[in-house]
Amino acid sequence: MTLAQDPTLASFGHDPWWLIIIKIVFAFLFGLVGTLLGVWMERRVVARMAVRPGPNRHGPFGLLQTLADGLKMAFKEDIMPRAADKVVYFLAPTISVVCGFTALSVIPFGPMVSIFGHHTPLQVTDIPVAVLLVLAVSSIAVYGTVLAGWASGSPYPLLGGLRASAQMISYEVAQGLSIVAVFLTASSMSTSQIVAAQAGNDTSWGPVNAPSWYALLLLPSFLIYFVSAVAETGRAPFDLPEGESEIVGGYFTEYASSLKWALFMMAEYVHMLVVSSVATTLFLGGWRAPWPITLWSGANSGWWPLLWFFGKVAVLLFVFVWLRGTLPRLRYDQFMHLGWKVLLPVNLVWILLLAGINVINDWRTRDRLLVIGGVALAALLIAMLWPTRRPEPEVPLQEQVDARPPGSFPVPPIDLQVPPSPRVRREVAERQPATVGGPSAGGQPEEKEG
Amino acid sequence: MSTVLAAAAGEMATGEKVVFWILGPIALIGALGMVLARNAVHSALWLVLTMLSLGVFYVMQAGPFIGMVQIIVYTGAIMMLFLFVLMLVGRDASDSLIETLRGQRVAAVALGLGFAGLVCTGVYRALRDTPPAGLEQANENGNVQGIASLLFTKYVFAFEVTSALLITAAVGAMLLAHVERRKEDKRDQAARMRERFAPGNYPGPKAGPGVYATSDSVATPAMLPDGTSADRSISRILPTRELTSSEKTPKGTER
Amino acid sequence: MSDLQLPHINYAALAPMLILFGAACAGILIEAFVPRERRYPVQLGLSLAGVVAAGVAVITQAGTRTITAGGAIAVDGPTVFLQGAILALGLVALLFVGERSLEAGGPFVAQAALIAGSEPDRRQVVRPGATEVYPLMLFAIGGMELFVAANDLLTMFVALEVFSLPLYLMCALARRRRLLSQEAALKYFLLGSYSSGFFLFGIALIYGFAGRVDFAGIHAAALGSDRSNALLYGGLALLSIGLLFKAAAAPFHVWTPDVYQGAPTPVTGFMAACTKVAAFGALLRVLYVAFDRVSWDYRPVLGVVAILTMLVGAVFAVTQTDLKRLLAYSSIANAGYLLVGVLAMSKDGLSSSMFYLVAYGFTVLAAFGTLTLVRDADGEANHLSRWAGLGRRSPVFAAAFTFLLLAFAGIPLTSGFTSKFAVFAAALDDGQTWLVVAGVITSMVLAFPYLRVVVMMWLSEPAESTPTVSIPGVLTSTGLAIGVAATLVLGLVPAPLLDLSTKAAEFVR
Repeated sequence: MTLAQDPTLASFGHDPWWLIIIKIVFAFLFGLVGTLLGVWMERRVVARMAVRPGPNRHGPFGLLQTLADGLKMAFKEDIMPRAADKVVYFLAPTISVVCGFTALSVIPFGPMVSIFGHHTPLQVTDIPVAVLLVLAVSSIAVYGTVLAGWASGSPYPLLGGLRASAQMISYEVAQGLSIVAVFLTASSMSTSQIVAAQAGNDTSWGPVNAPSWYALLLLPSFLIYFVSAVAETGRAPFDLPEGESEIVGGYFTEYASSLKWALFMMAEYVHMLVVSSVATTLFLGGWRAPWPITLWSGANSGWWPLLWFFGKVAVLLFVFVWLRGTLPRLRYDQFMHLGWKVLLPVNLVWILLLAGINVINDWRTRDRLLVIGGVALAALLIAMLWPTRRPEPEVPLQEQVDARPPGSFPVPPIDLQVPPSPRVRREVAERQPATVGGPSAGGQPEEKEG
Repeated sequence: MSTVLAAAAGEMATGEKVVFWILGPIALIGALGMVLARNAVHSALWLVLTMLSLGVFYVMQAGPFIGMVQIIVYTGAIMMLFLFVLMLVGRDASDSLIETLRGQRVAAVALGLGFAGLVCTGVYRALRDTPPAGLEQANENGNVQGIASLLFTKYVFAFEVTSALLITAAVGAMLLAHVERRKEDKRDQAARMRERFAPGNYPGPKAGPGVYATSDSVATPAMLPDGTSADRSISRILPTRELTSSEKTPKGTER
Repeated sequence: MSDLQLPHINYAALAPMLILFGAACAGILIEAFVPRERRYPVQLGLSLAGVVAAGVAVITQAGTRTITAGGAIAVDGPTVFLQGAILALGLVALLFVGERSLEAGGPFVAQAALIAGSEPDRRQVVRPGATEVYPLMLFAIGGMELFVAANDLLTMFVALEVFSLPLYLMCALARRRRLLSQEAALKYFLLGSYSSGFFLFGIALIYGFAGRVDFAGIHAAALGSDRSNALLYGGLALLSIGLLFKAAAAPFHVWTPDVYQGAPTPVTGFMAACTKVAAFGALLRVLYVAFDRVSWDYRPVLGVVAILTMLVGAVFAVTQTDLKRLLAYSSIANAGYLLVGVLAMSKDGLSSSMFYLVAYGFTVLAAFGTLTLVRDADGEANHLSRWAGLGRRSPVFAAAFTFLLLAFAGIPLTSGFTSKFAVFAAALDDGQTWLVVAGVITSMVLAFPYLRVVVMMWLSEPAESTPTVSIPGVLTSTGLAIGVAATLVLGLVPAPLLDLSTKAAEFVR
């Protein structure tokens, strides 16, 4: 291939109108199909983790389940609560979903390709501040959530909306800061340039080429970005805005079930797609193939990169689902603690460190060694001289019980042997004939257990 | 991108014109809506509309960085905090329309319109045939780089001093809003449990009132096994009163 | 991309500000890491040391004429003089702020967030006040230093905000009558941000006119620019609104009485003395350096503002019954006299204005300092009727206050007389007779409320409810002594300071 593979900022803005429309439709379809498949994947994967089959009736492997659900929701009655603020109630889901789709417009799906004779990048558009556009759009998307909570005119949605606004603002700070390290290293804010900056000069360890991804180079930033991305999308374990065990359904409690509810679901999945795509672009090398594939010279040209891109996004989506299947929801104060007191300071220190490394890279070796040695020495000294907290002496349980004031609530003795419950004995007794009996009688106790 | 380039060339491109004449009125409507809306949240939303339009204007005028920052900071963070507070205050909190000074509103409208007219005509007349200048030089090395180089050369001191402002703001927020809780006031799980099982306190859940058992009223206390009534079973905010006979009789089920 | 040419920074010239900001940041860290009971002496010592060190740094800069930090900061005669004045006045104000012997825990509340009058609020009556006040003071003083040194409008705006924000905060921290204090802070904050908005709008228009925001650039553009003058005049007008608001000139004075009354008295003194110096310092620089070529156009307008300010201050002062409000209106009237000096548009005008700022600052600080001494069970007793017969009970105190009031009234042998004389003489030299006539008339009107207080103190019988005069602690006594002594010395031998201000009265462009 003789084509220039890497788009630069100058490669944008020369498309004819029909090509632009094709690209926009493509980005839109990416969101739409991504939602359909994402919901399906989530249900299947979570089911698998819970040892259930999951949806498997409509289409092969239940692939059409989401489509069926979507059609059903479109035809359901649209309920408007009496206390709702009509206009805002209608506006909220729209804002959510529109913002999600808008962010997809700056995601680079692939390199320069040829479409009907036009040489064009696989990206709707790019601007010098494309990553900021993503941040801006995601900050507006919060309005959808918050306004939904407010406009419903009932307490649980309001609480959900309040939680959402606090959550999004807090984690947007961490998210924005985590991207700063990428800007520093790539010295650009445009998505296509950041992908380009992650190409080449792979560090090789013997035969294995480590990809020069920022996820490895800037590991703390990547981790912080991903944690705050989970929080931004409001997914488990950070799904406090819709914490169903505490506030029913959070901000969309009153959006019972209709197209508006479907829009919220779609917004959630599009948002997941967006943050996964951004993570792929900023930290995982974008559409570029990882090492074993790059042994094949054509890996990073033509339409193949689309595959790598979708693959990376799919892996990230799987992690989202995995998190949901694994982790319980955080308590609100723990959650805020994590955002403000852990992610934020760690991020700031990391950026400072990175900038410091950038600065001393230009120095002479001796100075550099001196500085590094000095910092290491200082860190060691601080670690050595840091006062350790003496653990409080543990009072034995018996003493604690003895120290209780007279008249306290009676507690059982500590060395109490709990006698087996009479019911258990009975069950054991019932089972005994089943274990020695024939197969026809064996079915009954099993059913009881289930 | 093409519009940005055209703007850099010093003339107003068609795209920019179209965007201006669409978003300009919207921004104005947003500003008016903010002033005129009765509901505080609606006011805030109108303001969001105006700020979004302004952000797009900045982008169109070859200042993409400041445009995006406008959207992220103003609409994303500041107005969101506003909404947060408004939602906490309550959704029906609308402005009080009682004038403490007679004729204040009329005077304010007249003066506001007068000031707006003065400034608008003045600026319009002053800038009617002024060619834009200096955009190419400003964006020569890229918009973000241009801003960065200004911040670190000409305005470096102002930039650094802004940190004093931010520190003051943070300290001030703490000072005016933070209520310090003394260590003694903080009760952890262990302390609360100890308290719960302390003598004199009944650790179990309170008995429910005697609704349905003897009457239909939640003001009826539950009956203890020995036939006395449990006062703990009724809410303390309920006034003690004599129950009417209709309240006392159990309600029959509907057939 | 071409390499950045980092600007040369003359650290010695910036040292006063850097010291103050550094000390303020250290103060914030002290809040975080030093145990509560030891914070007060540490913070007070640190702030006093910071101000003194900054003062030394200012003195070493005497005679410097330079523009540094990429053209953002101008260090010249007026800068050094005014910075020194702000530091000297700030030091005295800091003494009043740090006083804790008059009232248990000092004049500031421990936790402003507690609802006034609630049970936890009553419990905190005896708790020592918030020590965050000291870093805030340092930030404010540092911002004022920068405000008088700023050489472009953007830096000036940042400085304006840097010194305003701590003032808004400190206004809300009064231990007694906290609702009044918080209301004052809110009013000050809202109106202050509103005027900042005007200031910013003015900068935008001037940038549209000159294409630059530094004073030399505006000065050059005013000579000949192809842009319409409407931008220049509009910008200057809006800019002046922002500055005159801080200087408390009519019709932008409406915040002054409420804020002065509501704020804790030491903070009121600080605002009356230092904010005035900073605001007029900046106004002088803007008018003398950037806009001197259009002085013929703005002089009549500012002249009207000056006369209005003097009239409003003098006439409303007559009707006041609260001493803090009385002093507030007197400070408005004094802003008018200062404007007369500013409008002289000459070297004499500059030097006499600077002299006036120093003389007035010490007097007003001492006056507010004495107000903190007259107390009853509810805190300070500021109502005029409560002061009846105070002269019989505490003659020394009453004599000092009488002397200060006479200085305000401009009686000879006080600094009030020499400073007013200098300002009016400069204006007369420049042919601004109408302003001087207005100034003299309003001075006579203004003498009435002062003398009424004097008469009240000495010629009335003390009543049962007449409050006591507290014995001032070391800090307040020192502050009062400095204030009264400065008032007296500048009245008797004003020549050294006048010489100094004349020597300093040359801006660098």
